[in-house]
Amino acid sequence: MTFFTVVLRGLWRRPLRTGLTLAGISIGIAAVVALVGMSRGFEKGWQIGLKARGTDLVVSNKSGSLTPKPFDASVRDRIAQLPRVAATCNLLVQVTSVEDSDLMILSAREWGGFSWNNLELISGRMPRDATEEAVVLGQTAAEILKKKIGDPIQIETKELKVVGIVKGGALVEDGSVILSLPLLQGITGSPNQINAIDVRAAPSTSEEQLAELARQIQQLVPEVRAVTVSEHLSHAEGFRLIKAMSWGTSLLAIFVGVLGVMNTMLMTVFERTHEICVLLAVGWTRGRIMRMILYESALLGLFGGVLGVALGAIGVKVLSEAPAIRGLLQPDLSIPLLSLSVVIAVVVGIISGLYPAWRSSRLTPSLALQAG
Amino acid sequence: MIQPSASAASLLEARALTRDFDEGQVRALRGVDFSIKEGDFVAITGPSGCGKSTLLQLLGALDRPTSGTLFYRGESLPDHPNPAAYRARDVGFIFQAFHLLPTFTAAENVQIPMFEIDRSVSERREHAFELLKLVGLDHRLDHFPAKLSGGERQRVAIARSLANGPSLLLADEPTGNLDSENAHSVLELLIRLQQEQGRTMVLVTHDPAIAGRAGRILRMKDGQIVSDGKP
Repeated sequence: MTFFTVVLRGLWRRPLRTGLTLAGISIGIAAVVALVGMSRGFEKGWQIGLKARGTDLVVSNKSGSLTPKPFDASVRDRIAQLPRVAATCNLLVQVTSVEDSDLMILSAREWGGFSWNNLELISGRMPRDATEEAVVLGQTAAEILKKKIGDPIQIETKELKVVGIVKGGALVEDGSVILSLPLLQGITGSPNQINAIDVRAAPSTSEEQLAELARQIQQLVPEVRAVTVSEHLSHAEGFRLIKAMSWGTSLLAIFVGVLGVMNTMLMTVFERTHEICVLLAVGWTRGRIMRMILYESALLGLFGGVLGVALGAIGVKVLSEAPAIRGLLQPDLSIPLLSLSVVIAVVVGIISGLYPAWRSSRLTPSLALQAG
Repeated sequence: MIQPSASAASLLEARALTRDFDEGQVRALRGVDFSIKEGDFVAITGPSGCGKSTLLQLLGALDRPTSGTLFYRGESLPDHPNPAAYRARDVGFIFQAFHLLPTFTAAENVQIPMFEIDRSVSERREHAFELLKLVGLDHRLDHFPAKLSGGERQRVAIARSLANGPSLLLADEPTGNLDSENAHSVLELLIRLQQEQGRTMVLVTHDPAIAGRAGRILRMKDGQIVSDGKP
């Protein structure tokens, strides 16, 4: 018998309570995995989408929301003159409801811009020109909207025609309704307005040079923000809010988990007063008693964490297929996030066990003799 | 600091030992003096509430005296730098209510005190087997306490008390929860172990017949030793 056996026996002596505590902590950890995984997935999906389009820098309005506020398209002409700018593409991107879908990315791109180039036609054709009243759908968007070639599609007040279905090399691209920029500007009544410029830097531009280019753009046009693809979403207020809410909700769930484990371990100490006193009477040190309680609570955290990660992973997969958000994000179930979740659970377990462990070490061994 | 004893030949020596509870309102021990030599079998007897168990707790460093001194091998127990080590290595407890841990088998219960000394997992297992064999329970190694009779549980408890080879066995009414047949065999086992292995045993009992088996009887009344002599 090892010390670990003693610790495990402590957990198994009340299987129902241990199970319920595990359920409590695993729900907290599942919330971390699901909420943070989804927000990170959204971020990652957006980045992959931008990278798939060959974008190095994104220029947008400083007062960022999830889809930034529009600004004048002429800004592009000033930026295009900068050295190391190989190409630019004006965009007007909205996340809006389209027909029965509550959240759909509407991606209007400058006709002929490089942001069209990554789109691989699966069926149908591309719009003939910038003015044709037609859209192409990413393959996921076509599934969500249940559209095929030739079907009409209502974009705000305008009925357009689906002429092609494309694969964009990223979930965000596949989940978008893509149309020409002048068409959406016309529909929204905002000619010459854009809310993003995709900038492609010259080949062999280093990271430092890219950062320098971003600085130059901001100097040239102070009212805009130029950021790399990986930083793009972190500047969006809307996304920051989503992220903060994800962590906030997760922390609340973790706090509930802490209380659950602490309650269980305190109950354990109260119920096992006699046993702990016997252990002290036969020579166990107070340090060993504390370690026993702390290991038990850490193990509760570990098991709860592993269970929570599994629950969260399943939950996030199910959620990402929900009609409201399908196509918008690719859940991030990366090893770092899953490992972090388990580490959080173990830390939660240890923190929750500190007070019960201290209480247990304060017991007087003579109680063992008095107890019948 | 550990204070030196006046009588280094004694295993245990108490001088003017007192123990008060409830801020002095209850005086469990009122100036107890005695000394016990290595290898002695001493019975402490007296009516309920006379302070027998309180004295045993002080001898086992489960509690501290209010005043007075208590020496073990010439070292002051109340000032012992590591009472847990004393309990683990020098003392073996046998309780009236056995106090086995219900979620551990007989062999595992015997191994519990061994965590405090340097033994490997296999050494712990083998030693537990030897001790259970010594008390006649080598066929009950993997039984949980709930599956053992009262006599068997007390034998496991005796094996546990011997786990780390203590010099001093402290038994608090060890046959109090047993029927007469089991009480007899457990008492015979304790006496055999005490005699064969030369251990010192202090046994608390209110049963004059059991006390009569000891080499010496300390009779207590109202927190004091009222007589000290042979049966």
